Amino acid sequence: MPAPTVAATTSKKRKNVKSSGVPSSKRRAVAESDSAVAMADIQQLEDQISESRKYYNNIATLISMLDVDGSTKPNMAVAVALCRVFSRLIAGGNMTETSRAAENEKIIVAWLKERCREYQKLLLSIIRQCDSSSQISALTLCLCLINERATHISGDDIQDWSSGLFKGVFEAVVEAKDGQAVLSDFIEKAKEFEDVRYYTFMQLADYADTERSTETIDILISILSACDSVPGPEHEFESFYTQSSKKNKKVLSVNSHKKRAQDAWLAILRNNLSQSQRKTLLRIMVHNIEPWFNRPELLMDFLTDSYNVGGATSLLALSGLFYLIQEKNLDYPQFYQKLYSLLDADLLHSKHRSRFFRLMNTFLASTHLPAALIASFMKRLSRLSLNAPPAAIVAIVPFMYNLLKEHPTCAFMMHRTISDEDTKAQLLAEGMDDPFDATEPDPTRTKAIESSLWEIETLQSHYHPNVAAIARIISEQFTKQFYNLEDFLDYTYQGMLQAELGTEDKPFKRVPVVEYQIPRRIFTDRMLEEDGGQDSGPGSLIRGLWDFAS
Amino acid sequence: MPPSQLKQLKASLRDGGILGPQQSKKQKRQNAKTGVSAQNRMKRDSALQAIRDRFNPFEIKATSRAKFDVTTRDVGSKSTQNHARPGVTKSLGEEKRRQTLLREMDRKNKVGGIFDRRFGEDDPTMTPEERAAERFARESQKKLRKESMFNLEDDEEEFTLTHGGQSLSFGEGALGDDFQEGDLGPDDESDSELPRKRKRVLGDDEDLEDIVDDEEEGEEQPERKKSKHEVMKEVIAKSKFYKAERQKAKEDDDDLREELDKGLPDLFDMLRGVKPPPKPEPPKDDLAAMNPARAALLAGKSQDETEQEYDQRLKQLTFDKRSQPTDRTKTAEEKAEEEAQRLKTLEEERLRRMRGEESSEDEDEDEEMNEEDGSGDEEEDDESLPDDAKAFGLQQPTAETSTRPELGVEDEDDFIIDDDLVETRSDVSLSFIESDSEMESAEESEEEEEEEEDELINGFTIPGLKSGDAPAASDEEPSDGLAYTYPCPGSHDEFLEIIKDVSMQDLPTVVQRIRALHHPRLHSDNKMKLGRFAGILVQHVAYMADQPEHPPFAIVENLLRHIHSLAKSHPDNVCQAYRAHLRQIATERPLNLHPGDLVILTGIATTFPTSDHFHAIATPAHLCIARYLGQGAVNSLADLSTGTYAASLSLQYQMISKRYMPELINYILNILCHLSPKEPSESLGYFPTRSPPTSLRLNPSKSVSPRKLRFWDITEQSSSNSEELKLSLITTLVTLLGTASDLWISKSAYTEIFTPAQKVLKHLLRSCKGSKISPVTRDTLQSTLDKVDNHLAQARRTRRPLLLHHHRPLAIKTAIPKFEETFNPDKHYDPDRERAESNRLKAEYKRERKGAMRELRKDANFIAREKLREKKERDAEYERKYKRLVAEVQNEEGREANAYERVKRMRQGKR
Repeated sequence: MPAPTVAATTSKKRKNVKSSGVPSSKRRAVAESDSAVAMADIQQLEDQISESRKYYNNIATLISMLDVDGSTKPNMAVAVALCRVFSRLIAGGNMTETSRAAENEKIIVAWLKERCREYQKLLLSIIRQCDSSSQISALTLCLCLINERATHISGDDIQDWSSGLFKGVFEAVVEAKDGQAVLSDFIEKAKEFEDVRYYTFMQLADYADTERSTETIDILISILSACDSVPGPEHEFESFYTQSSKKNKKVLSVNSHKKRAQDAWLAILRNNLSQSQRKTLLRIMVHNIEPWFNRPELLMDFLTDSYNVGGATSLLALSGLFYLIQEKNLDYPQFYQKLYSLLDADLLHSKHRSRFFRLMNTFLASTHLPAALIASFMKRLSRLSLNAPPAAIVAIVPFMYNLLKEHPTCAFMMHRTISDEDTKAQLLAEGMDDPFDATEPDPTRTKAIESSLWEIETLQSHYHPNVAAIARIISEQFTKQFYNLEDFLDYTYQGMLQAELGTEDKPFKRVPVVEYQIPRRIFTDRMLEEDGGQDSGPGSLIRGLWDFAS
Repeated sequence: MPPSQLKQLKASLRDGGILGPQQSKKQKRQNAKTGVSAQNRMKRDSALQAIRDRFNPFEIKATSRAKFDVTTRDVGSKSTQNHARPGVTKSLGEEKRRQTLLREMDRKNKVGGIFDRRFGEDDPTMTPEERAAERFARESQKKLRKESMFNLEDDEEEFTLTHGGQSLSFGEGALGDDFQEGDLGPDDESDSELPRKRKRVLGDDEDLEDIVDDEEEGEEQPERKKSKHEVMKEVIAKSKFYKAERQKAKEDDDDLREELDKGLPDLFDMLRGVKPPPKPEPPKDDLAAMNPARAALLAGKSQDETEQEYDQRLKQLTFDKRSQPTDRTKTAEEKAEEEAQRLKTLEEERLRRMRGEESSEDEDEDEEMNEEDGSGDEEEDDESLPDDAKAFGLQQPTAETSTRPELGVEDEDDFIIDDDLVETRSDVSLSFIESDSEMESAEESEEEEEEEEDELINGFTIPGLKSGDAPAASDEEPSDGLAYTYPCPGSHDEFLEIIKDVSMQDLPTVVQRIRALHHPRLHSDNKMKLGRFAGILVQHVAYMADQPEHPPFAIVENLLRHIHSLAKSHPDNVCQAYRAHLRQIATERPLNLHPGDLVILTGIATTFPTSDHFHAIATPAHLCIARYLGQGAVNSLADLSTGTYAASLSLQYQMISKRYMPELINYILNILCHLSPKEPSESLGYFPTRSPPTSLRLNPSKSVSPRKLRFWDITEQSSSNSEELKLSLITTLVTLLGTASDLWISKSAYTEIFTPAQKVLKHLLRSCKGSKISPVTRDTLQSTLDKVDNHLAQARRTRRPLLLHHHRPLAIKTAIPKFEETFNPDKHYDPDRERAESNRLKAEYKRERKGAMRELRKDANFIAREKLREKKERDAEYERKYKRLVAEVQNEEGREANAYERVKRMRQGKR
């Protein structure tokens, strides 16, 4: 592909050298069926155009030779030749009207412009429909043409980028059929050249203003998230596709760059996003999106909407929201209530569990939070831990330990002596209900602080010895300052099993104990009459429930 | 103004009672008699001393000013410090130096009062010969050096004193040798070792020396002075002579050594205690020469030896094991009691392990292990920050190995199964062995005695040996002619090869024979072989259960029992095999358990004490089951069956220890919700819901009755009887819930655990209400619900607020210093022994160093003083001499002067 070299050239002289090299390589690339005669024809037609204007009609001939319609493999040699022709014409000033020009001159210019438009349209349709190699070369030709026009036709550059050919190119790339290759090529260009990126943001914002299909938005997101290198405040813009962009102050300023990107993102965020897209965006929110924003508060709507969705989406929105609360003084009423409501049955089983715990650790770090609220969180967590996998329990208990250490008032939940004699007598006689109201949505009103952490106490007899050992820390003296929560996150069944079993056979430090009595029966009713027909040995539960006869 | 010194002295003498009225003679005599005079004299002396001291204040040095009165000051030396007498000590030191140092100084470079100026006398690097040669060279040089032709003194030396024609000068004859020959020989003994030795060894050499001396004397006889040539010759001859002497001495030494060596074998014999063959009677004169007392001692020694031997024998006899009465045969009751006792201890042991306590004998080991772990941790800590979680044994997986390929169906082996399911003979043979519990227990007690005898092969006798009298086996001997001997397989493939042609029913027999043939008693390798075989059996059980032809469970059970009994003798191999299988489950199919896995998990439940707090196999097995329950597929009824089996297993595991398993409750409630005919309208609890892709709800239209679940339901794919299966699943799960409720009633959070269960059960009952569900299920549901209700009420009654922190409050760290009851400032109370020791040494070194430096300094002063004194003396001597000479000269010259004067006067007078 000669495209990048062509794109990089600036001086006209070098351009000619390069472009003369293009057909030759092109010729090699084109299959043998395209005989050398056809190539020679094209070459001849092209040469004639540069010789004299009387051969301008050759342009029309070449355009007709492009034969875009019907086939997916257009004659790219012709396209390249045409590109050269137009480049020369533009550079030669043959396509600019001067007011004092003669009438017939004007007619010629108008005719050439018409042809040029026609050619551009054809290129765009190549991008839209044809096979990927043609798409990529068409894209290169388009950008090449834009470059020529921007360089040589004064006042045309901005118009070209913002509404002219580039707009068409962008749309064509986005809507291209089987456009993976051309899309990645386009993204490459946008990442490399800062002016391309700038105008891409611009087009994207325009394009995403209207409601688009999910697939289109996927493409847009991929374009945007690929441009993830946010320029710093002191950034110098240096790599440009067209040299004329250097004069454009807007392209040169970091702020306007950011503004464009922000507009583009906002346009996407306002579009109709699917649930999975929303999650994707939330996931990249802090690292990829927020840095582009001059005014992150604009994200607030999106984040609060996402937070209200519930479930995993809310979890993901939390970090973005927290960023706003922390940095931008976002006032989020009933944040903790909402957070409390996120603690539901699925939370401890979700894969975002560690992420949530990290955030919650930050949210509940303040010692100024009311003890009732902390108690509610603890109580709810301990309720959930009764149905949680061991990896979650392992994280919950040290977390609660830290909370208890921070909020000594909550220590009543572990140790409550009742001094009132009447209450004591009543307690002895009737027992008690849990004062905790699990259905109360407001964490400050759940009466959790009057309850006790029976759940954690129960978990002290968890089947896994390590989990049981961790649960035991709340009934021991609180001598440790705090537990590093990070050490307790990110456990899995797999990891725990691996820790138990290792990866290969190792000799035992201590030989495992074997049951001293060999049971009479494991599956069958062997010798049942010996025991008087009563099956009570080990394994009787299984034998009672299951039939191993056949 | 104070009175004059004299007056003061007088006054003080009078005060001291020294001056007093004269005593009469009579009085004196009396005093002398009674000893009072001596007393008086002492008193007088001390008084005088005091007076002297008083009048010479510089004699006593008092510390100018007392510093702060601190306790640590050395009290003992205080008194002496106050009355230091610098003069006295100084003079003492001086005196001592005079005694030692001055002497040394005087004797420096002197031998016996005269200077030893002999060349090379104190040079240890020179041999006596060299010394002699050098001295001679010097002397002769001195002789030959004639400074000038006119040196009169040299000429004078030519004249030598003679006596009887012999020169009296020392120089000539004994120039270089320093009179070493005969006369000075004894003196030289102390100087060098060689002559002494020579003296000792060869007494008769004296003659030779004499000869040499004679020769020398002969040579010296002529009065003429020897020429240099002659002298050199003489020296050479002498050195040769000495050399020869040395050689001779060496040879003699060698001879002596040889003689000793000859006697060495005898000595060795004696050392070994073997009596050497009686030597030929020593010559008579030898014995006669021997000390008679010594001879007697020799004779007595043999007697001693015999006595000693006797003693030894006697001691051996006393230490001999006495014959003991054999143990009394125990009665049946005693045996039973003993057995009960043993079982009780074993059960106690199990409970202790369940509580996670360490046995006392394990504790030490454990501590060691902890230490090792600690060191390991430290190493790890070098790399990373200390991990709080590690304290609880938690550990992050090293690498993500969560590749979970679905295990394809294993290749079907050409495994022939006998279809006629006769009651297996192995079973009979086993039952023959374990026909009654007493027998079994007896065997176990045997095992207790480390007999390693195994009940499973006990009854088995190698048929070739006892085929005649094995009636139980003979009639059931399989017709297809099992081989009597089988090799012990080294791998599972080998085992499959061995049992290729063996029918399934005969498998236990084969296993039994392999075990009998490779009994550890028969060969030392067998223990290892059987260990490997045990591992293979574990593999095989899983393999068998995974086969599409479902093996009869009697066989599986038999094999598992074999494994169990092998596990007792080879715990390592069996445990490793089980762990390997668990590992395989964990890495390959954690969420898709095969029948083989379930059989293995069931085997674990019976083979190992699953109630242990931590067990190398039970704990991972728990995790495997919990993981399956928590995350396993719930897509089909087969999955649900597997899950239900796993749930039953997990409850089975917890029958004794009653530990809580959240996954179990989650699973049961979730499945019940999804099997119930109607979907619950609201969330019934905090358990997570996992829904199957297609609805598995019970269709209540048909009337079905539940059955007992079959193990092979877990592989059932057909949906012919799905409704029946669903209903059975519901019944089983509800029963499990009831069992769980029984197990966990004592948990403090019982209410929280089972309130959702109650809701689910209610929902189930409600949704089953209108349908044609068999009354059996409904009864089960109702009874379980009642049970849960009851338990909930009970839990409410017994619920109390938590009282977890009845700890003794932590003491604030004390800041009171540790007082020593009897503090001694001189003692050091350093608790660190080593540091105290090193401090002590340091102080001692410092003190010694200071002392040595002071002494050296004083010595140097003394030496300088002495030298100065000597110099002064010498100078004075010189002065004196000079003056004398001047006086002499003046005397002589005075006369001349007088004469001159006289002449002068005469001349003047003449004039």
